[in-house]
Amino acid sequence: MKNSRIAAICAAALVAVLALPATVTPAAADDSTIVFGAALAATGRDSREGALTRDGYEFWKDYVNSHGGIKVGGKTYKVAIEYADDETNPQTAARLVEKFISQDKVNFILGPYGSPNSASAAAVVERYKVPMVEGNGSAEKIFNQGFKYTFAVLSPARRYLEFVIDMALHQKDKPKTVAIVSANDAFSIEVAAGANDYALAHGLKVVYNSKYPADTTDVSGIVSAIKATNPDLILNGGHLQDAILLQRGFKEQNVNAKVFAYSVGPDTPDFRKTLGKDADYVFGGTQWSPTAKYKGAPGFITDSKVYAAEFAKKYGHIPDYHNAESSATCLAFQYAIEKAGSLDPQKVRDALASLDVVTFYGLLKFDDRGINIYKPMAVNQIQNGELKTVWPTGVQNAQPIYPTPDWSKR
Amino acid sequence: MELFFQDLVNGILAGGIFAVIALGFSLVWGIMNIINLAHGAFVMLGAYIAYVLFSAFHLDPFISIPIAFVLMFGFGYAVQRYVINFVVRAPMLTTFLLTFGLALLIVNVVLVIFHGDIKGITTSYSGANFTLGPVTVPWAKFLTLIAALAITVLMQLFMTRTKTGRAIRATSMDIGAAQLAGVRVAHIYAIVFGLGAGLAGAAGVLVSMSYSLQPSMGDPFIIKAFVVCVLGGLGSVEGALIGGLVYGILESFGSQWIGTGLQDAVALVVLLIVLVVRPRGIMGKATA
Repeated sequence: MKNSRIAAICAAALVAVLALPATVTPAAADDSTIVFGAALAATGRDSREGALTRDGYEFWKDYVNSHGGIKVGGKTYKVAIEYADDETNPQTAARLVEKFISQDKVNFILGPYGSPNSASAAAVVERYKVPMVEGNGSAEKIFNQGFKYTFAVLSPARRYLEFVIDMALHQKDKPKTVAIVSANDAFSIEVAAGANDYALAHGLKVVYNSKYPADTTDVSGIVSAIKATNPDLILNGGHLQDAILLQRGFKEQNVNAKVFAYSVGPDTPDFRKTLGKDADYVFGGTQWSPTAKYKGAPGFITDSKVYAAEFAKKYGHIPDYHNAESSATCLAFQYAIEKAGSLDPQKVRDALASLDVVTFYGLLKFDDRGINIYKPMAVNQIQNGELKTVWPTGVQNAQPIYPTPDWSKR
Repeated sequence: MELFFQDLVNGILAGGIFAVIALGFSLVWGIMNIINLAHGAFVMLGAYIAYVLFSAFHLDPFISIPIAFVLMFGFGYAVQRYVINFVVRAPMLTTFLLTFGLALLIVNVVLVIFHGDIKGITTSYSGANFTLGPVTVPWAKFLTLIAALAITVLMQLFMTRTKTGRAIRATSMDIGAAQLAGVRVAHIYAIVFGLGAGLAGAAGVLVSMSYSLQPSMGDPFIIKAFVVCVLGGLGSVEGALIGGLVYGILESFGSQWIGTGLQDAVALVVLLIVLVVRPRGIMGKATA
């Protein structure tokens, strides 16, 4: 008797705990506020990237609100963003976005972090015909389904490591062989496929190509196999966690290559903090760099350098590309809403589809599918613990250090 | 051939950690019949203890092992005595729910304190390695294996040579007879759960040297612990060790020769085969 009562209490407590992350503060919507909904990972594998995304959104919001707001027709609106934790789970992201639209009646949706979650959110906004702009899901799979209400400000996943290969091909002592390894999620697979095709098209030999489970805790087998093929370039399509595991594994097993490059990792402060000097010489594909020389349209910070400085003042670190692309996500909405002169979802959607504006982050323009294929990417390298942009030559603030010195000579 | 030996070594090195993780899980499951879903969270707590000691006092993780063990033992003892003990005789689903809720609670408290940032412990010797013929062995992982073996031996001595250890084994064999012989079962249960948590904490310290830290890092280890327990046989120290090593080697070879994407699948297929062919596990007794 006693036990069953306690069991019931425990079950009730559990249900309460499970229900917690889904609760959001009620909408602050009144007629002078534009409300956005954003389902972002605060827990789970992508919690760090989710936080970086949120900071990018918040930075834009605070800037816009402290500079008057957004002009729509003759009226000025403040902006508000509602957040909920999607737990790095695509199903949860879809559920939360549905709730934002149907119950909380938000005006527009800002994308979640990551391709799987963006894909599931895209299906929901399509059904409700509410536009979503996202800056953190670059798998083209999302955009090959004929969706009309989802737009991505970032370059497609396939391009992440192309510029790294391009950089290596322009150095003395050209590479001949490549090893590619990726996590088996939509984004990482496309990064790897893009790198593979690009390498083959430029006469490189792909000596190793494999995938690992997205939540792997051990990559030593992969590291051993790569070592056995002795490649010039080692390229990884994956996320922060696996990048750290791999880089550590390469040192542990003394694997040397001319280039170590990761799609996600080197640009985040955590990568450098965790690995210390073992992070040096690592290359990474990046959507944006503080050294980019775009001249943005008025309405927001127009210059990359100023954006970086203002952001650092507020958050204590130089913004990484996740921060920047997230601010740019909001920026796409800002320009589209102003252009539409209305908060009508259909009109804003049409304004987004025809958007063509240069910002601190680069050109914001979408192809028929809704992805930004017009903006180039850049290559970062960690040099002496600092992130430098080394390629292409137009935006570089340091020369690439190539080839990477052997572990024994560091 | 070089790759074969390297894979073997990789597997053994990983297996040592799996063994320590599974040891605590196996004790609690075998003796108390509780599948502790908070075990992964306990491993994570151990890793964060090592992280805090390392970043605040520059304490080497290997020195943190006993500290993490003691702290987590106390924590586990209290959790059993004042939380789980109320439902210890309830159907398994109840303890399942309770430990699952406990795991959520712990992970979220750590998330509030440390945020989701990925952290790591980088010692002066992390990444250093030595070569053994064709095989490269990282020092940190090698020392981790030694520590894992030492923990297992100490645990075995405790279970066979001390009065408390004998009382634990008596309780697991026949709870009624143990009570008649004067064993305080509630106390013994709390000690077992404390040992489980302490071993998870020690394993967390070992894990922290090879993997990066974040609040949900413990999750993948629960399923591994589960497989290792079934492989090696429940509730026995040597079973966890053998199971851990076998699992590590299987995973290493499986991922190399069958496909890295199928790393987890290989282990689960083995689990299935063991359950069909030898359900009591490699070291399990014929009659439980």
